[in-house]
Amino acid sequence: MTVSNALTLHTADASSTQALAEAIAAVFLPGDVVALSGELGAGKTCFVQGAARGLDIGVPVTSPTFVLVRQYRGRLPIVHADVYRLNRMQDVFDLGDEVFAPDVVTFVEWGDAIASVLPADRLDVEIVHAEDLTAETQPVDDGSVPPAPRTVVLRTHGSWGERHQELATLCAPWREG
Amino acid sequence: MLVLAVETSTDRSSVALVDENGVVAEASLGVPRRHGEFVAPAIAFCLDQAGLTPDDVSGVAVGLGPGLYTGLRVGIATAQSFAMARNLPMVGMSGLDVLAFQARHTRRLICATLDARRGQLFWALYRCAPGGVQRLSDLRVGRPDELTAELDSVGEHCLVLGDGGLRHRGALEGAVDVDVAEGGRATPDAGDLGALAVPRFIREETERPGTMKPIYLRQVDAAIGWQERGRMQAGQG
Repeated sequence: MTVSNALTLHTADASSTQALAEAIAAVFLPGDVVALSGELGAGKTCFVQGAARGLDIGVPVTSPTFVLVRQYRGRLPIVHADVYRLNRMQDVFDLGDEVFAPDVVTFVEWGDAIASVLPADRLDVEIVHAEDLTAETQPVDDGSVPPAPRTVVLRTHGSWGERHQELATLCAPWREG
Repeated sequence: MLVLAVETSTDRSSVALVDENGVVAEASLGVPRRHGEFVAPAIAFCLDQAGLTPDDVSGVAVGLGPGLYTGLRVGIATAQSFAMARNLPMVGMSGLDVLAFQARHTRRLICATLDARRGQLFWALYRCAPGGVQRLSDLRVGRPDELTAELDSVGEHCLVLGDGGLRHRGALEGAVDVDVAEGGRATPDAGDLGALAVPRFIREETERPGTMKPIYLRQVDAAIGWQERGRMQAGQG
């Protein structure tokens, strides 16, 4: 993996992550595959919620962990899959014909675990906690939800490389420095 | 002899009633992932339009793939149920064989292809033979460069049929001496399947419903490496 296909971005909280995903949604095309990685609670579903907003999906997007696959209709149809409960690569194909279909945008949570069966043309989204979770948590005085900054790394693979520059421009507000 | 044919291996589902003289009735739907809703009502529609009843059907032909997983299961299960309930013989055929049959009048090498998604295609090579086409190779799945490598090793001008070739046209035409066919059907069709199956029913080259198995080609015999993955993440700390 080369460094040049990666964009490293920073979001201050969940709504910032959603805004980033919403901005990125402008470049989505039918047949796209977006593989999300990050530990439990990193914000993978949060990212898909933002992307869904960008694709004019009018209903709430919820985690597909227990139903494995959810579908939504919008400017482009979305297929939202989660492989966390699958044990074998074969199970990925058994999810159904809508996953990786040419007329939808497929989001796969825990995509890094099934990288060998993902298409070569895809966007990888890696979401990690920006701060060391073992460090002492800062108390919040007013009782509000503490901000949860994240580092979001986008990696373009295969034909997604053609959209790298466009992505970089769209993501400028979340770039480093 | 009246054959019910069901073909659901691609985004276009179709069913047909075919006899020795050709297609009696046929219905198809080009809407993706509607196999489950379409197939049984379409069978009823074809029988009704043709003024026939299930009693008139004497055999069931089904497309076995390769192709869409859910589509294949819907089509095969429906065809098996019909045949089992009425105690009818079955014929199962690959959609690639059905596609290639369209080009039975060319003397060129024929390569039938279907889009396998994720940048891959399904394919097989054929040559015209008395009564149709003869398959020269196993059914395969792979990337366009793997197909062009195979065609290159054959070293012969080739006619490429099907939606796999259409999707990866640039990669194929750039690498080897091929023509990608634009005309004809790009996906297998129940009418063609039925027409190919009728002689087999007449020759009694049939099987029992329980023996019909989908052709997936892509059997990934690997576990998802959750533990390995966890260790990697921990290592990166």
